[in-house]
Amino acid sequence: MFLFFASLCASDACALPSARWEGRIQIPGRELTLVVDLAQDSTGTWTGSVILPGLGIKGAPLGDLVVKETEASFAIKDSLSAPGFEPARCKTRLTPAGGLNGEFLQGGLSAPFELTRTGAPQVEPPRVSTSIAREFEGEWKGRYELMGYPRDVTLKLSRPTGSAAAAAADFVIVGKKTNQLPVDLLTQTGDFLAIESRAFGITFEARLKKEAGELQGVLTQGPFELPLVLRRSNP
Amino acid sequence: MKRPPLAFTLLTCAVPLICPAQAMFRGDAAHTGVSAAAAPRTFHRVKWKFPTGDRIVSSPVLQDGVIYFGSDDGGIYAVEEETGRQLWRHITNGPVCATPAVADGVVFVGSYDGKFYALDAKTGGPKWKFATGGERRFEAKGLHGFLPKNQTIADPFDVFLSSPVVVKGVVYFGSGDGHLYAVDAAAGELRWKFPTGDVVHASPAYADGILYFGSWDSRFYAVDATTGKEKWRFHAGEDPLVHNQVGFQSSPAVVDGVVYTGCRDANVYALDAATGKEKWRFGNEGSWVISSPAVAQGKVYFGTSDSSLYHVVDAATGKPVLRLQGKAYVFSSPVVAGDVVLVGVLNGILEARDVKTGDVLWEFRTETSRRNADWTLTADAKLNGPLIFSSGWREKPLAAADRQFAIGAIFSTPLVAKGVVFVGSTDGAMYALE
Repeated sequence: MFLFFASLCASDACALPSARWEGRIQIPGRELTLVVDLAQDSTGTWTGSVILPGLGIKGAPLGDLVVKETEASFAIKDSLSAPGFEPARCKTRLTPAGGLNGEFLQGGLSAPFELTRTGAPQVEPPRVSTSIAREFEGEWKGRYELMGYPRDVTLKLSRPTGSAAAAAADFVIVGKKTNQLPVDLLTQTGDFLAIESRAFGITFEARLKKEAGELQGVLTQGPFELPLVLRRSNP
Repeated sequence: MKRPPLAFTLLTCAVPLICPAQAMFRGDAAHTGVSAAAAPRTFHRVKWKFPTGDRIVSSPVLQDGVIYFGSDDGGIYAVEEETGRQLWRHITNGPVCATPAVADGVVFVGSYDGKFYALDAKTGGPKWKFATGGERRFEAKGLHGFLPKNQTIADPFDVFLSSPVVVKGVVYFGSGDGHLYAVDAAAGELRWKFPTGDVVHASPAYADGILYFGSWDSRFYAVDATTGKEKWRFHAGEDPLVHNQVGFQSSPAVVDGVVYTGCRDANVYALDAATGKEKWRFGNEGSWVISSPAVAQGKVYFGTSDSSLYHVVDAATGKPVLRLQGKAYVFSSPVVAGDVVLVGVLNGILEARDVKTGDVLWEFRTETSRRNADWTLTADAKLNGPLIFSSGWREKPLAAADRQFAIGAIFSTPLVAKGVVFVGSTDGAMYALE
């Protein structure tokens, strides 16, 4: 029987298929449900996302995804990481019976998992920044107070060549020191603008008030929600 | 700290005075719990399973071939009815433990982040967001007899958020800040808010211009939907000692001029909708009635928590018709779907019972419940109380409740369409069963 499967796996028929895989990570005393979606497009490029219902993770994109015939490895980067921790990783291998077995590596520990194929892949597309309308372009300035200290905010929004291209943002908050915030996500829906900086845990959601030349909204940092109005600095 | 602006409207949408197509908790504004579609009398298979990142206590609603629901992972989801394919997900900053309402192309639902969201039903894009006074769970000193008795403890059994009802261009919902809110459905602006003495996590029912809802202050209110003025209030039981037998977590149903509601004081009440006068009460010997009653063909259907009973009583008199022993707590609300009553149970089992006899026709059990990895359940799927609730000290009772819920419990109220039953579970999945 082993030889039969071994001969099967030598052929293309045993290459890793695009699929949804479900099973459990056998962490001692704490089994975790794991759902992995792996898909290959027409150019041969692999993409994937992961769901961990016990950890509040839905559709997290896979990083460092490498697929070689019957093996795949990937990292769970944005959702299962913290300062001082390497991203969690998975190493998997297709079994002769058509399952996907592997190891879950996190915090210097490892736990085995066995996944079964449950259907077609449903890879979650990563959230991406959108383009912005012309009226959002330019430099915006404002101030808010946190814990009794003022913070000066400067937001520069620009549209790269081609109106469909994702917008770019230069987001600076000056308090006791100057903080250049990396912008992970910038989206515009109608007159609504949302900016997210994961490293600082800051989001800014605002509505454009054209007549006033203002972005009126709320800046959120952890538990703090602060009204923030940014005015066009060079109308 | 100054609070942020209450609302920032994003796009204007014309919500007609009477929304022609709606979907909401319990199926209609009166919250009758009666399904237009019949449930199957036999179970064949899981048609699809849609996993999310955390437990689902929200209930699914259906509009134009799309299932909408929330998850404790903070997502508000739109999933294709036929395939279980995700159409969109809108991420909030807190668990979404309420059931969305969909009216005229807009999805309305609140989150534990203290915001109430209006989203485009097709894209999930934001229409507006409304900030309440903030969410919180019911809490009390020495709650349920937990120790120490002088310390305030948040209630682990306060699992739901208030689900909205949308009527004539206004969306109504309760909040942990103790208010019932009326917000303009198109603009996201406050019409009025009605204060109560504690958390409002029950969902308001609407009939003939009046909103009916209970609060954790142990009062049940009738409020004019246009003005927000109180019409009457009804005072249920109190429990100043351990705050166990107090408060309305159940959402009411309004049928033929009578309001039916469960209460944590262990009664189901029938109140005159016009006056608030008690018509009858059905006692449950100390067992909470969290489940929202369904009312159909002159009968009231509900389940109990600790005693784990399935009850059918006469709607006119409150006299018992059926009393059947179940296996575990019922927090989910029964749905009458043709000649079948669907009841979700906290042991991870969805029961389909014959509407007349109460006999179990079929069961669906979540995989997590079947595995019963840490013996949360007994061999016959009852809650393994002695092993789970071993102590009332420190965080043990809270951790025990969490462990109990993690068994794949069904808090979610089932939805039926085209012979398919949709229901969520704390294993994180939304199921389509046929």
